[in-house]
Amino acid sequence: MSELIEIVGLTKEYDARHIAVNNINLTLPKGKIIGLLGPNGSGKTTLIKMINGLLTPTRGTIRINGYEIGVETKSHVAYLPDRTYLAGNQKISDILDYFCDFYEDFSPEKAIAMLQSLNIDPNSKMGILSKGTKEKVQLILVMSRNADLYILDEPIAGVDPAARDYILRTIINNYNPNATVIISTHLIGDIEQVLDEVIFMRYGYLVLYTSVDNIREQHGKSVDAYFREVFAC
Amino acid sequence: MLGKLIKHEFKSTYKVGCLLLGATVLITLFGWLAFQSPLWSNTENARYSVNLMDIVSVFMMIMYVVMLIGVVYGTYIYLSLHFYKTMYTDQGYLLHTLPVTKHEILGTKILVSGVWVLLTMIAITLSVILFVVACFTSVFRADGYTMASAWQEIRSYLLDLPAWFNIEFGWDMTGTLVFWGIGILVSPFVTMTILFGAISLGQLFTKYRVVMAIVCYIGISIIRSLIESVSQWLMIPLQNSGVGNYVNFHTVFSLAVTLLMAVVLYFISWMVTSRKLNMQ
Repeated sequence: MSELIEIVGLTKEYDARHIAVNNINLTLPKGKIIGLLGPNGSGKTTLIKMINGLLTPTRGTIRINGYEIGVETKSHVAYLPDRTYLAGNQKISDILDYFCDFYEDFSPEKAIAMLQSLNIDPNSKMGILSKGTKEKVQLILVMSRNADLYILDEPIAGVDPAARDYILRTIINNYNPNATVIISTHLIGDIEQVLDEVIFMRYGYLVLYTSVDNIREQHGKSVDAYFREVFAC
Repeated sequence: MLGKLIKHEFKSTYKVGCLLLGATVLITLFGWLAFQSPLWSNTENARYSVNLMDIVSVFMMIMYVVMLIGVVYGTYIYLSLHFYKTMYTDQGYLLHTLPVTKHEILGTKILVSGVWVLLTMIAITLSVILFVVACFTSVFRADGYTMASAWQEIRSYLLDLPAWFNIEFGWDMTGTLVFWGIGILVSPFVTMTILFGAISLGQLFTKYRVVMAIVCYIGISIIRSLIESVSQWLMIPLQNSGVGNYVNFHTVFSLAVTLLMAVVLYFISWMVTSRKLNMQ
């Protein structure tokens, strides 16, 4: 089975007028880096939250490796949210213990090596770290797992260009090559070179799912240029 | 996984939990100091000997009671806030993406919170006993009372109490005490389950979820009071069959109502977290 994620008729309605995700059908393969792209409010984060079990779909199903969202899928999905979710009074070393206890695929050695390469003290509390450093710690936690699916929601938003390079390097150098990585972002130009496939979303609908090569061959444009054309205001 | 969840839950709550227990010890010392004024050992002439120190000691006694109530409410508020923050705010992203079941998460939260409430209740009970003993020894110091003799007297009085009730009212207190004991032991866990249920119910609303959680808790409390009031009214005929029967039936009925509410609210929490979760 080469499919990793199978989404059928997925819909999320907050109320009758506000449909965040509208009847999405999508099958994603293993071993690809996929860009989840779309303007603000297109439903990217809602889709990601449903894949991670943080939002309950109104209709439709999601299966990962053939399993419905639950304990089995969560043990194989590494998720980086678009926000700081770790308590400020927690030490990084305590968080490493936490991940060690709950994720069998978590490598503390890998995490410590990455923290050392960034001169981040594992005994620091999350609350005293800068926004960029917090994001790096969260990324390190995710990329220290040997997961089947990595879901990174806006991993390079709000950080300086140097940090962006580090984050992208970390993703490329640390993900399990047999796994799929889904990266949601607005900053297409920065990640385009690492993407295999792209998903375009708008107003909760799936607009396009294709390979990056296909966009370049068929339209003779970069993903960034094609995105600007499709989503031109 | 349950053991790991419990370990980490204790780890994240022990600082405030121990702080509240430490506060109870300090408050007990504070209450004991209140009885060291000469006012209490000279109550007969108190009218003529009230001075600033005595006013301060009465004030300290009032403060003692207020602070103990503060510890109780502080514990409930802290544990409720901790539950809300770790379940339904950004921190919930960590908990809800762990490979554990919702029953394990809720069971852990209820167990650990219940243990903290139980420890607080034990600490407060010990504090009140020490306070009463301090009161006895201070007021009756002139009659030769010491801590040990006061305690001895209270103890023998408490031990004689069931026999006295049996003779006076024909009420065998053994069953009642067993029910009370069960009630005291389960009440911390049941109270936290009801509080967590109210917080979870609040999450079903799209806006003002904290306010709605408080409204839900008030609603649950009103329903509980109504059921108990109606039950008391229905149990009036039982008063003719003796105090013991009446108290026993009332205790069991209250316990059953509270347990039933806790079970219902546990399943509401489970439904919200597993079927209706909407992390913003």
